[in-house]
Amino acid sequence: MEILIYGIINSIMLALMALGFALVYGISRVPNFAHGAIYVLCGFLTWIFVRSLDLNYLLGILVALVLTGILGALMYRFVLIRVRGMNISEIIASYAIGLAILEGLRYGGFKGTTHTLPVFVEGSIIIGDIPVDYQRILVVLIGVLLVAFLWLFTHYTRIGLALRGMAQDERAALMLGIDSDTMALVAMAFGCMLAGLAAILLLPLGNIVVEKGYDVLIQAIAVCIVGGLGSWMGAVLAAFLIGFAQILTTVYLGSHFQMVVALLAIIVTLILKPSGLFGQQKELEERV
Amino acid sequence: MLEASGLMVFYENMLALNNVRVRCDDNQIVGVFGANSAGKSTLMYALSGIMEDIKKKEAMAGGERITIMGEIRFMGQDIMALKPSLRAKQGIVLCPERRRIFSESSVLENLRIGGYLATTSQAKETMEYVFQIFPALVKLKKRTGGFLSGGEQQMLAIGRALMAQPKLLLLDEPLLGLSPLMQAILIRGTKVIRDQRKIAVMVTEQYARPVLPIVDYAFILENGAAVMEGTRDELLSNPDIRSAYFGV
Repeated sequence: MEILIYGIINSIMLALMALGFALVYGISRVPNFAHGAIYVLCGFLTWIFVRSLDLNYLLGILVALVLTGILGALMYRFVLIRVRGMNISEIIASYAIGLAILEGLRYGGFKGTTHTLPVFVEGSIIIGDIPVDYQRILVVLIGVLLVAFLWLFTHYTRIGLALRGMAQDERAALMLGIDSDTMALVAMAFGCMLAGLAAILLLPLGNIVVEKGYDVLIQAIAVCIVGGLGSWMGAVLAAFLIGFAQILTTVYLGSHFQMVVALLAIIVTLILKPSGLFGQQKELEERV
Repeated sequence: MLEASGLMVFYENMLALNNVRVRCDDNQIVGVFGANSAGKSTLMYALSGIMEDIKKKEAMAGGERITIMGEIRFMGQDIMALKPSLRAKQGIVLCPERRRIFSESSVLENLRIGGYLATTSQAKETMEYVFQIFPALVKLKKRTGGFLSGGEQQMLAIGRALMAQPKLLLLDEPLLGLSPLMQAILIRGTKVIRDQRKIAVMVTEQYARPVLPIVDYAFILENGAAVMEGTRDELLSNPDIRSAYFGV
């Protein structure tokens, strides 16, 4: 029972961390290695607005999210657009931005374990005989809603459909008047906002530390690789796989093995099925 | 409507298009015929602006140096400097070689994505129209694009291009690898589109015979140069052209 409940919660937390990364990669094929940094940055931005500037919590969150989105767009417009299509350069450029943000934050005095965000709702509920706090329940609910929203967005709105078209065949999308750079910019802004949203939901459960950035990045990459790079539904499924594996490891082997799970998952996937669970695009293309 | 002159495209030092002049008038179906590697697709890419995108990507990755020169006028306006997405907005829509269907999306979704440039009412109207000229697609609405047959994919590709509200439709080898029956359906569809929607069409093919009945004017490309042009009868009266491209 404990495994089930915490497995689900952990899985959805992982899915939230990975969605932004999966979205950006799926659409523009840019691996956003600044993902973890954006996550932490959004956490600190919210902290600044709420704790230092005494803004209303909700207002602070909204402003932080918008700023994160703008930052993502700027990152694409001024840096990534120049290296688009060159995988190694994309990784180096985005990772450099991530490092600059994270170490810049550390240099700016955001270190130690004193930075926390308030939870949205205090208290906890007993499910079965396991106490679960409201924040975690909220994470699960919002996580599910977010996945549903993303699905609707990419299947029924003009921009969402254009994004999916571009994800599948950029040049064909171009022929239909879908501008690839604009769409990649939108995807980047959107992906960064998703990272920010994950941060705002998950950070109240612990404290905001710079190191979290690297951790989140690795988890996100692990989920995306296992699920098949570029596949969003694959990412959600992989989040459940890794999420439960992590909880099982914690229960039976000890919590310090938890980080190994994600890294092991990357290695095993790359050996057994390099395209990931749902990375089937190539096989389809070969038909006909 | 469309007039390109002095069009030159180089891949490094290799001349892919040599001083090509093509034109397409309102409500006309123009054929461009030529053998493999004669420059048909390059011409289509150059006209639709995709070449600019390929050039940009190659330059960024340090690959082939592509040079594009010449003049393209569309509805009296010089469009040489426009990005491909803006050219599509102006009304030049390319339906590419090998179709490039969005293979993971359903037929319906492919059409919806194609409707990016259309208003909601235009998209709705055009979608009905596509199902009307290609009724075979109606049954396949929910089918994933990658699992369609070649002919079905081609119908979908043309339909998807129509969704973008073109004024000039560029069809790059639409009949490639299809059965004679399917070819006839597509050719008939193309003519109906021209007659009913007043869309000008430029179509390329290696083998001209199936397309010949519907073209008003044609150009022959050889080694990147437009060596012959004329109406159907003019081309048919030239014995070399007749044996090489029409097989009669």
